[in-house]
Amino acid sequence: MVKPLFPIAVITFKEGIRNRAIYGISILALFMMLINFLICQMVMRDVGKVAMDIALSTVSFTGLLLVFFVGINLMAKDLDKKTIYMVLARPVSRAQYMVGKFFGMVALIVASNLIQGSFAVVSLFILQRMYANYFLRFSWLMFFLALLFIVLMLILLTALSFLFASFSSTSFIVLVLTIVSYIIGNSLSDVKALVEAPQSVGIHPSPITVKIVQAAYYLFPNLSFFDIKTQAANGLAVSLSCVGWTMLYGFAYTAVALSLACFIFSKREFP
Amino acid sequence: MRRYYPLIIALLFAPVYLLCLSTLGPLRKAEQQSAGYSYTLPGPIAKIATLDYDGLAADYLMLNIQSYYGGTFERTERPRVKEAEWRWMYDVLTVSSDLDPYFFDPYYFANSFFTWDAQMVKETNILLAKGNHFRDWDWLPSFYMGFNEFYFLHDNAKASEYLMQSSKKPGATAILASLATRLAYKASRTEVAIMFLQQTIEGTKDKVEREALEKRLKTLQRIFFLENAVAAYKTKLGTVPGSLKDLIDQGLVKRIPTDPYGGVFFIDKDGVVKTTSDLR
Repeated sequence: MVKPLFPIAVITFKEGIRNRAIYGISILALFMMLINFLICQMVMRDVGKVAMDIALSTVSFTGLLLVFFVGINLMAKDLDKKTIYMVLARPVSRAQYMVGKFFGMVALIVASNLIQGSFAVVSLFILQRMYANYFLRFSWLMFFLALLFIVLMLILLTALSFLFASFSSTSFIVLVLTIVSYIIGNSLSDVKALVEAPQSVGIHPSPITVKIVQAAYYLFPNLSFFDIKTQAANGLAVSLSCVGWTMLYGFAYTAVALSLACFIFSKREFP
Repeated sequence: MRRYYPLIIALLFAPVYLLCLSTLGPLRKAEQQSAGYSYTLPGPIAKIATLDYDGLAADYLMLNIQSYYGGTFERTERPRVKEAEWRWMYDVLTVSSDLDPYFFDPYYFANSFFTWDAQMVKETNILLAKGNHFRDWDWLPSFYMGFNEFYFLHDNAKASEYLMQSSKKPGATAILASLATRLAYKASRTEVAIMFLQQTIEGTKDKVEREALEKRLKTLQRIFFLENAVAAYKTKLGTVPGSLKDLIDQGLVKRIPTDPYGGVFFIDKDGVVKTTSDLR
């Protein structure tokens, strides 16, 4: 049952690493880290906060690019180029194929975040030496926790993109659906707060809107749970129970999405 | 020959490109000056629109305001910054602090420039109250609020309340203790302002902001110097000098210092030293 997963994961990982996109993404990350030095020169006081913001946002943004443009293609290419028949002709179930691909993608996300995370560490380390007086509330622990949460968020998003790939015919639709889910997932809790207490900006949402938002709140992943960049940047504490529940939430949503993806994919008819 | 056609076309269009660049740049800049400060997205909406990059957006807005304000130093017209621009800058800083209420720079900027230059003291204290609420470990927001209450709003009771609050937080320096005692003895407002400014300048990294604050400090130090001379005149002759020239005549000062803002120092009928530039 588990045995065929490993080779598929390894192939997926290798394929992803060979993809030129990953070099582009890494160069982008490097570039943004250099910009970090430029911007921090202009900041008046809260240098540590801005440096951490830029470092973490870079890692999260390049991770998103990886999921959107490498991850989705890895899955879609097999379907487009019909190489999936070669895999499915072997004694591998479709669910095994799906899960194997998923783990390959997880390895890719972890590897790329290690690269980008190390860029971030270098830039933060140097900036901390340069502006020691403005890094008083800086905490490496919070930095690595935020990094871990970004990885979890990317893994969840990958599982969701696999779910979309399991039933849609082209990779473009998967891309659009995944991006939309990402946007909804990140703004959902803010939108929900807004439609439930609309006085703050003076809007009047209809009761149907409120119901739709509340329904979406349960359907889409709440990605803002994984966003602790603000806490990390400002050196605020995150409670241990909050960390535990967030990890469990990520794990549960990923498991549900991936299982559904396997189920739908195994029922799918190939032309 | 034919294979050089693309190159020739490229060479032909290169000047057009450069021409457009040199025309469009100033054109857009001129447009921005008229419409640059018009609308600000409300904080809650901005928070949704920036997804999980709200912290980064807060930094961006802050840098935007900083560079906009820095750009006004090149202007020759007076007042240098229009009232609508101050309003806009205040709104943007509010949004920046909505996006990340823990970010210190908007509070710091507001306190450094909205009180002295824009005379938006009440608004500044509203912003600072937010900073004081979220940055509950930080002694500076309540310190700033206390000073504003004392210096601009003349509310000594509230001022000492904020300063007391500030002094209980970690890192509050000795200046607070001496400020509090001076408030009690009704020290000269200029002297307190000098102490306050020295404290603010100490942590300023940005060159433009630092220079602006140092200019203000220098002016206040000169005013304080003249105030001391006026006080000496009072004890010597029992009356208030009619003009600053009287101070020279009495040998209390050698010469009247110049105002770094380009104004002229004078004594009003109550014997208070003022300047025509009003520190702006």
